[in-house]
Formats: sequence, C-alpha cells, structure tokens
Amino acid sequence: MAATSINMASTGFSKLGWSNGQKHLKKRSLFSISAQQVEVQEEPREVDSMNQKQQAEATTPLRPVEPQLNVKSKNMGREYGGQWLSSTTRHVRIYAAYIDPETCEFDQTQMDKLTLILDPTDEFVWTDETCNKVYSYFQELVDHYEGAPLTEYTLRLIGSDIEHYIRNMLYKGVIQYNMDAKVLNFSMGKPRVGFNYDGQLQDVQ
Amino acid sequence: MQGRLSVWLVKYGIIHRSLGFDYQGIETLQIKPEDWHSIAVILYVYGYNYLRSQCAYDVAPGGLLASVYHLTRIEYGVDQPEEVCIKVFASRRNPKIPSVFWVWKSVDFQERESYDMLGISYHNHPRLKRILMPESWIGWPLRKDYIAPNFYEIQDAH
Repeated sequence: MAATSINMASTGFSKLGWSNGQKHLKKRSLFSISAQQVEVQEEPREVDSMNQKQQAEATTPLRPVEPQLNVKSKNMGREYGGQWLSSTTRHVRIYAAYIDPETCEFDQTQMDKLTLILDPTDEFVWTDETCNKVYSYFQELVDHYEGAPLTEYTLRLIGSDIEHYIRNMLYKGVIQYNMDAKVLNFSMGKPRVGFNYDGQLQDVQ
Repeated sequence: MQGRLSVWLVKYGIIHRSLGFDYQGIETLQIKPEDWHSIAVILYVYGYNYLRSQCAYDVAPGGLLASVYHLTRIEYGVDQPEEVCIKVFASRRNPKIPSVFWVWKSVDFQERESYDMLGISYHNHPRLKRILMPESWIGWPLRKDYIAPNFYEIQDAH
C-alpha cells in the first residue's frame, strides 16, 4: 500500500486506520495528536506514556486520536481570520486542528489536537513502518514541547525537526525517493547510486 | 573638536556627548535615553524638521544597543541643509528608549523594525509590534548573541 496517510495523535492516542479505498488519500498519511497544553484530556494515559517513554527510549508509543464521525469543517470562514495555525513545509504539514482522514473535513475548533500530513506530494516511498517511525518521532516531539505556547513558532520547531529526521532517514537509506513522484527535484539531495565497489573502480572502457 | 550644534546645546546647558564627525563631516552626538525625548523636542524646535533615517545596531557582543537618528533641517533656498546624527545607547538587559514618533511621525515603521530586529522597546510608540518577523517569533534576529533556530525551510527551501 502506498504510504500517504493522515496522522493524528492525541494525549491519549489511538491510531486512525488508513483509508484504503479513497483515491485522494491513497498516498497520504494523516496523523493527529492532541496538543497537551490546551486541554487536559485523558490525563492518566498520558502519565502512563511518559513512564513508557522512560523505559523504552527508542520509540514513543503512538497515542492517536479516536476517529470521529461526522466531522464538519468549522472556523474556516473569514470571520475567524480565514487562516489556521500551521507549520507547512514540503514533507510535513502540521495543523492545530482535527482533520478527518476520509473526508478531509477540517475542524478547527479542536485546537487541542495536532494533525500531521506526511509528504503530501509523495516524494518518498513510504511504508507503514517508516511512517510509524515518523509518527512516533512526532509524538515524542509533541511530548517534548508540552507546556510551550501553541504558536506557529513552536509548530515550526516541531515541523523542522521532523523534516531533519526525514532527511536523516533518507541518508541512512531507510526511505527512498519515489521515482513516480509528480515533481522529481530531489529536494533533500541527489540520490546516491550504490555501486558494488570491490575495492576498485571499474575502468571506463 | 565640537560641532555647531554641540556648541549651541552647551550654551543652553543640555547634556550630550560629542562623538566627532562621520565620513561626510556630519556631527554625531550621543544622548542619554532618559534625556532623548526632551532633546528631540528641542531639536525639532531648533529646526530639524526632517528625520532622514532611523536605524539601530548591536554595538558589541554583550555590549550596548544603539539607536541612530539622522536629522536634517529643511528650509527654502538652502542647498546644503544642516544635518546631525544622534546616537542613543541602551543596555542590552533592558533596552528602553523613548519613542520620537510624536515628534517625527516618519519614525513609525523604522522604530518598529528596530524593535523587531533588536528588541529595543520604544516608549510611547503607538503600535510597537513586530513588522518583519511573524508575531509569534522568539528572539531578536540582529543581536549578536542571537542563535537562529534550525528551521527547515530557511536553508532547504524547495
């Protein structure tokens, strides 16, 4: 399955399933979590996860938001400023809102949640495993920035860290460029060709 | 070596310090932040009716912040107008300088930019807020001790 998915995480996370059927979502990951400072929601589970984090440093367990039914776009109008709190770079889009993974309804009243859209232009080949790595790093960052003001600056710090993480994954060979991407400009550096060097370069002839 | 304005200010017992002349021979004076507003009014009354530019800079690492004002006296029939450069220094910890917005209105955006870049807070400025950086930005980008955040798009814009 292609790896575009929309991810949401919350203080207590339950991961949203990817929607297989939807065409426009096939390659998108959407993951939303709730930003802890805004609402105290499911407090005890959060404490649990903190303990787990101390035990297992490697990956932060995901705590995705429960999928919601009948989400409607709210607070998107001009009377609310016509804009939203977000950090958008090419591979990472973070919104302080709940975005429905199926219908893409954008509920901006739920500012206690952060939604991550991973690689909407589909520049990399994603698998569930690599997606989850990014999501758990996202979760870890959100836990780290707990208590920070919910501003664009904080979201950009988180988003930039995730971008650096993705680039790190690319350099380590965990993810690859998607050669079928619409825009193939190798925005994180030219791909390296893996030769099998036997100590010697082959002669040109 | 004192300039004309310095001599005039001494005559009226106004506290200042002469910093010499710049490369164009324009007199440069240092004025204390607490005196600056009243001296600005005095200079306006003296005839400096045009604020040519206002800027600010960080003098040295860990040192003072400076706010610089270039004043010109515009009159009819003068081809070499009188000019003066005023420097006001403020401490890095608590940089407060009175705003001269109510004397020369053109200083409005310039002081906002100085506030945005160096964090000098201008007293009595009507709307002192960031002008170049986003309003949620943290830190003062042109200070010498500023560390730029490792934002992705700054170096890796696609």
